[in-house]
Amino acid sequence: MEDVLLRVKEVSKHFGGVYAVNGVSLDINHGGICGLVGPNGSGKTTLFNTILGLHKPDQGEIYFQNESISHLAPHKIYERGLVNAFQIPRLFYSLSVMDNMLVAARGQQGDRLFNSLFLRARWQEQEKGLIEQALDILELVELEPWAFTPAAELSGGQRKLLELGRALMAKPRLLLLDEPAAGINPVLGKKIFQKLQALSANGLALFVVEHRLEILFEFASWVYVMDKGTIAFAGHPQAIIDNPAFYAIYLGEE
Amino acid sequence: MDPLLYVLDLIVFIGIFGMVSLSLNLEFGFAGLANFGKVAFFLIGAYTYALLSQTGVPFYFCLIASAIVSAVFGLLISLPALRLRADYLAIAVLAFGEILRLIVKSEDWLAGGDWGVTVAPAISIAGASHRVDALINIGLVYFCLLICFLLIQLLANSPYGRAIRAIREDEVAAEVLGKDRAKFKAQALMLGSAMAGVAGGLYVQYQYSVLPGMFMPMITFTVWIMVLLGGPGNNWGVLLGATLVEVFERGTNIAKDYFVLPIDPSNLQYILFGALIIFVLLYRPQGLLKESTIRSKAQRLAYYGRRAAKSKGS
Amino acid sequence: MTVNWIQVIFNSAVTGSLYLIGAVGLTLTYGLSKFPNFAHAELITLGAFIGYLVAEQLGLGLPLALLVSFLFTGIVGFLSCRGVFQPLAKRGSSIIHLMVASIALGFIFRHGIGAIWTWKPLYFTGIGSAFDLGPLRITHLWLWLIFAALALSLAMHFFLMYTKMGKAIRASSSNPDLALASGINVDRVIWVTWFIGAGLAAIAGVFRGADTQIWPMTGWDIILPIFAVAILGGIGNFYGAIAASFIIGLAENFGVVGLMAMGVSTTYRIGIAFFILIVTLIVKPQGLAMMFRRA
Repeated sequence: MEDVLLRVKEVSKHFGGVYAVNGVSLDINHGGICGLVGPNGSGKTTLFNTILGLHKPDQGEIYFQNESISHLAPHKIYERGLVNAFQIPRLFYSLSVMDNMLVAARGQQGDRLFNSLFLRARWQEQEKGLIEQALDILELVELEPWAFTPAAELSGGQRKLLELGRALMAKPRLLLLDEPAAGINPVLGKKIFQKLQALSANGLALFVVEHRLEILFEFASWVYVMDKGTIAFAGHPQAIIDNPAFYAIYLGEE
Repeated sequence: MDPLLYVLDLIVFIGIFGMVSLSLNLEFGFAGLANFGKVAFFLIGAYTYALLSQTGVPFYFCLIASAIVSAVFGLLISLPALRLRADYLAIAVLAFGEILRLIVKSEDWLAGGDWGVTVAPAISIAGASHRVDALINIGLVYFCLLICFLLIQLLANSPYGRAIRAIREDEVAAEVLGKDRAKFKAQALMLGSAMAGVAGGLYVQYQYSVLPGMFMPMITFTVWIMVLLGGPGNNWGVLLGATLVEVFERGTNIAKDYFVLPIDPSNLQYILFGALIIFVLLYRPQGLLKESTIRSKAQRLAYYGRRAAKSKGS
Repeated sequence: MTVNWIQVIFNSAVTGSLYLIGAVGLTLTYGLSKFPNFAHAELITLGAFIGYLVAEQLGLGLPLALLVSFLFTGIVGFLSCRGVFQPLAKRGSSIIHLMVASIALGFIFRHGIGAIWTWKPLYFTGIGSAFDLGPLRITHLWLWLIFAALALSLAMHFFLMYTKMGKAIRASSSNPDLALASGINVDRVIWVTWFIGAGLAAIAGVFRGADTQIWPMTGWDIILPIFAVAILGGIGNFYGAIAASFIIGLAENFGVVGLMAMGVSTTYRIGIAFFILIVTLIVKPQGLAMMFRRA
């Protein structure tokens, strides 16, 4: 098999007879930013949720680093380095911002029952390092001053930023982002994308749902266009923007 | 009754039900599992202890057996617990508890059916007075309570505690962030059931007998009230809740001897109970003591370290 | 062992009728308000005691007792909803909190009743004794119970299908947001449902009390089989409840025959409903809902 990071092969998912995702195939390469666009209801979120293991595909296969993940539980998919940030943040609101970040950290010794009780020194050492990492990421998303406040006290935009920060904390190989800059002021949004681009230059692959074409134009190297559960077409951002069929898809929904 | 003995007896009960409350706090307060069948695990531990102690096994083995057998049933419950909605699980476990009670009631060969069997006390000194017996039990019960408290407190203030709170809060988000919710929920139920089982064993050796009538659903509800009143997610709160509820129950019984009340105290007690719970749910659903925050040493250091650096900077 | 199968079938109808009347209120309020009301047991109990008050203490006879009990308990049901459960729901209480509140309300009712009437069992007088009709041993009460179940079912059917309020209840059960958007006063729908549900519980209570005894645990004695009916039939589904009540009635009564044949104690009779309850929850929590039109 080629050296592709994520391969989605003819995946379909239906709910009660209605196909939300219908025969979708796509590849994501190591490194770089790949975009996913499409009108509401075209199946983008369902596709993401299926890749993450929240739904089992009814047909087709999904491969991550040449390994089939189609039938793995979500926590096992996370272990292989596939992480996401939800469109509407799913934070742990009764926990602090720092705790939200720490939950996402990988390979925690203290996650095990025995270790948490009897090998306390081991995970406390680890925790110190993780807190430093978390503070660094929080600085990146401009949330550092709120590190120890309860997540419930954050504003809408800040919650989005925490959702992203938490995903970054998980040190992913591939990061699925569902409208990461929605609800955030445009200046900060652009800054976030620049930082994401820098990370992707270092090997992190990003698969991003984003409606604003100018952003994809500036940062993405490849874009998939979804319509009614299938991939309508794909290409470089410039090719998409020049394609009249693209606008027809969006206008057709009205 | 001898007033001092009365107080000692109360202290023993607070200890035993404190343990059961802690177990529910772990399951519901931290892990978000609404276990409405607590009495079932209390019963399992009690009968395990009673039957094993009859064969002459020393009490500490009996208590360990109570813990293990209850934990096994806890594991059994965790299987449907993963798939069922909270209210469905609550009803199912409630029915399970009632079936168990029905079985021990009907199967006379098991443990004397309705008439039960006598249970020898764990530790007894020949010729000791009731007061001394009570003191011995306080020692035993509070030793076990201390172990349970430490266990749950240490768990809560660790990455493990963080993980189960995350699962409680949003299990989908927790799953995609690498937490195996099946494993965590099963462990919470096993540990919680083990504690309730040990409490059950301690209870019947203190009462010198085990009877089906000791394991009515009312016990489950009483423990829920202890947890909701004291504060789910706060171990001290839950112990406070257990203390208040036990004192209230005893208090109203004593009041009968000193005041002439228009309503029979046993009825009045439950009417007030019910009203209190509704009041708490309406106006203070988080309970008396709010959920404890996760306080690990590393976090505390980082927090205070930053504060010092910031104030130096400004 | 010779078995009078006709008797078993008749007994099943009796059991099923009682459970049906008791379960309708529970399944409808559970479906609408989205939580199991454990105080439903005490509404049954209350019904039995109000019936006793009217029929025995005031000497006004059973038919009037049923009517007064229906109305009084219906109002109590409405007040529980309006005064306790809706305020809690507005404050964002979870299903579990509402469940616990209903248990607490049950305490208040049960012990309030115990305070007023004491815990000594009470009995209706003037209930005829059993007589033989062909191969059957029956009582007038049982015949009335079966008749009541049929009559009430028909009445509920017409109410749900052909009246404005009935249709509003069905709409609100399946899609509350759409119902609200269509101009249905969902609050009033909820209140009417709770009123009727509690009233029916009261009728079940009177029959149960007349058949066995009246004491503060009258409702609790049959609440778990009634939960089994509500869940097996599909929560919120009236027609499912009809089927489920007779399935469970048959299961219990044929089950007793089976228990006797196996030499097992018949105190396990109640266990049959519990068992069905647990199995339904584990295997198919929606119960028979798929088979019956949503109502």
